[in-house]
Amino acid sequence: MNNIEEQLWNYIDGTSSPEEQKAISLLIEQDEVYRKKYKELLLLNAEFSAIELDEPPMAFTYNVMESIRNEHAQAPLKARIDKRIVNGIGLFFVLTISAILIYVLANVQWSAGLSGKTTLNFTMPHIAQYLTNPLMQGFLFFDVILALYTFDSYLRRKNLTKTYTSVQSGGQQK
Amino acid sequence: MQSKLSDINLIEQTLAGDQSAYADLIKRHQRFVFTLAMRFAKSREDAEEIAQDCFVKAYRSLESFQRQAKFTTWLYSIVYTTAMTTLRKKRIATDSIDDEDTFIQVENKPSGYDENNVENKSRSFYLNQAIDQLLPDDATIITLFYKGEQSLEEIAQTMGIEANTVKVKLFRARQRLKDKLERNLKHEAKELI
Repeated sequence: MNNIEEQLWNYIDGTSSPEEQKAISLLIEQDEVYRKKYKELLLLNAEFSAIELDEPPMAFTYNVMESIRNEHAQAPLKARIDKRIVNGIGLFFVLTISAILIYVLANVQWSAGLSGKTTLNFTMPHIAQYLTNPLMQGFLFFDVILALYTFDSYLRRKNLTKTYTSVQSGGQQK
Repeated sequence: MQSKLSDINLIEQTLAGDQSAYADLIKRHQRFVFTLAMRFAKSREDAEEIAQDCFVKAYRSLESFQRQAKFTTWLYSIVYTTAMTTLRKKRIATDSIDDEDTFIQVENKPSGYDENNVENKSRSFYLNQAIDQLLPDDATIITLFYKGEQSLEEIAQTMGIEANTVKVKLFRARQRLKDKLERNLKHEAKELI
């Protein structure tokens, strides 16, 4: 009996091979047992298709979005920093160190070691000439802006967390 | 009139920073996700918690969603994994989630029907009652197949099993559902007499 049911379910679902579909179709036409069972399973199939879905609470979407917003607001600063920025800073330092190293190595008088002299003779770049007054002022101005921006972000985050906590404690729906 | 955006469009908008697009995505799928969660939780509060958790998890890993599969298949696999984990955590003492008799004892969801008013009970009520009495896996397969518009292959992907296993499980689940439905209807008929 199970075998018949299994064959018929596969036939209804369309999961059997074309040959099997043909054979079962023929059996339904000719065999009374198959026909009766087929009708019964068709009815069940229609009934199963009419299963009702459960309805979530009215505020479901709002609650999910609140959880997402809260999670985002409470994320630590280090988790929110874009990895590309970190990689960029890393690359800047690697390039700077490499450039200095190449410059230094290029200016070393390697022959000095062969002639018995122990002092290394290379010329240092004159950085002081680049540290002009307007450049330093610009650098300090940028630092001040950056500090203000960081402080503003901190205050905003603090304010957002405070608002969320008050909403959670005062207005949570149940 | 604004045309209905596809799931992929809404995902793209969400990834571009439009949170309202994700809210639309939730509205579109919340009924089915909640129903799936109900198959495991059996109480509306727990199901709501599972469903919420799933949408938050999906949001977090939206960037990793490979568009080769349907969004629903991906989302339902999150629901299935989360619900299974929650069910395992909440398992009472030594009870097993594979033990059908134990599972039936878990709190049943309240229905909108008056239990004493048999006339009010339609056949669909008995069907939902019978689904509640199934094992979570059976109920999930039935729900995914009939209401989730999922093929056997997609259900296999969701549940992390072979498509052939899904076929066998679906056959058995349908048989169990049919048996329970008949038993419940017979029981009610006896009560009427």
